[in-house]
Amino acid sequence: MKYFIIAFLFFFQLSHAFEEEISNWFNQESIKFLEIMNNADGENNENYEEYVNFVENNFAVKSIAYGLIPESISLKSNKSDLYDYEISFQNYLTKTIYNLSNNTTSGEIELIDIVLNDNVYQINSKIKEGRNSINLYWKVASINSSFKILDVIVENTSYFVTKKSEFSKILRKNKGDLRKLIEELNKI
Amino acid sequence: MNTVLKAIVLNLLIFFSFNNLSFANEDDVEPTIRYDEIYDPLEPINRAILGFNFFIDDIAIRPVIKTYKFIAPDPVEKGVSNFFGNLKEPIRAISFIFQGEFLKSLNSAGRFTVNTITSLGTFDLASRVGMPKNETDIGLTLAKGGISSGPYLVLPILGPSNLRDFSGDIVEFVIDPVSNNIPNREYVSIGDGLNSRAEVDEEIDLIRGSSSDRYEMLKSIYYQNRNSQIEEDYVQNLPTPKIYIE
Repeated sequence: MKYFIIAFLFFFQLSHAFEEEISNWFNQESIKFLEIMNNADGENNENYEEYVNFVENNFAVKSIAYGLIPESISLKSNKSDLYDYEISFQNYLTKTIYNLSNNTTSGEIELIDIVLNDNVYQINSKIKEGRNSINLYWKVASINSSFKILDVIVENTSYFVTKKSEFSKILRKNKGDLRKLIEELNKI
Repeated sequence: MNTVLKAIVLNLLIFFSFNNLSFANEDDVEPTIRYDEIYDPLEPINRAILGFNFFIDDIAIRPVIKTYKFIAPDPVEKGVSNFFGNLKEPIRAISFIFQGEFLKSLNSAGRFTVNTITSLGTFDLASRVGMPKNETDIGLTLAKGGISSGPYLVLPILGPSNLRDFSGDIVEFVIDPVSNNIPNREYVSIGDGLNSRAEVDEEIDLIRGSSSDRYEMLKSIYYQNRNSQIEEDYVQNLPTPKIYIE
């Protein structure tokens, strides 16, 4: 019984420490993100590099990229195509986030709570501006001892789900040709 | 007009009952949908209509909305939005009755009374006195009753829908106690439509600029939003990518 209680307390403390760690990471990175948004200077793309770094450091690019295409396609594609796909997807992700941020007024991001489900943290937050607020959910995993974003859900629209349906359509239309998908991604 | 609409509703319901209508247990009400495989047998027609809608939007609706948003101060926009939102409270009250949500039904009826009496619906006082707004409609009532969504539809001018939600819209049009008693109902409908378009103006701009296939993007967003209103724990149940070592 004693060992059970010790083990329970150990795991409780461990999960609590993790929660604190991810809260700190979230607060730090969300402030950084708002700073990047506020530095946007309209039509000039001077702060685009900052978005590139932000995506590289905080998004699980490989996990999202491979999650968006059927496993059968990643298995049958050669290494060079898969590498090109990863690179194109990272650029595409950065550009879509950049477009999104430049069209959105930046407010304040408030952390509401964090729920752990199947090794994925779901961070519930709100973007507030004046009296208006938008629900923003982040799905985050600990990968290589750092936190990486797997999905961003604005109100009820998931980036991952939306892009999966778009990518599936492109692949179906082109008989599963990954190169065609890469071409489409590079067009944005 | 009402007779014609009733006939359409009846026909649609008959169509549903032979083709797609399935009353089901609570457990198998539209399971978490695979968003990349939404039932869309009318895709070529839908795509053509979406192209037409974007064309009409470009030449007529968008300029009106942009001008309106530029001229009208935020409180005016909010007031207009509240006004049209308030007109939908009676139909929400009816929908909640069919869903067995009697308290929410009373809440919607109460909201309509309070907001209409105090400001003709332009100011949402009810929310401030503890009567929060709850969204619902006949389409959601049908969904919660176990009726599957049927094929995805893009309606001229009105935009994304599906057979179930479109049927719900027609039922609403027929039974809505407020709109049916308003003179010059067409103007109210047009105003409501323009207001709805104005509310999603920024989102539509984003879709124009950030998608490789705006048809697929709109379809996915439409289903995600509707499903989030139907399913509990919607966000938690969304698919998540498998983790790869980066």
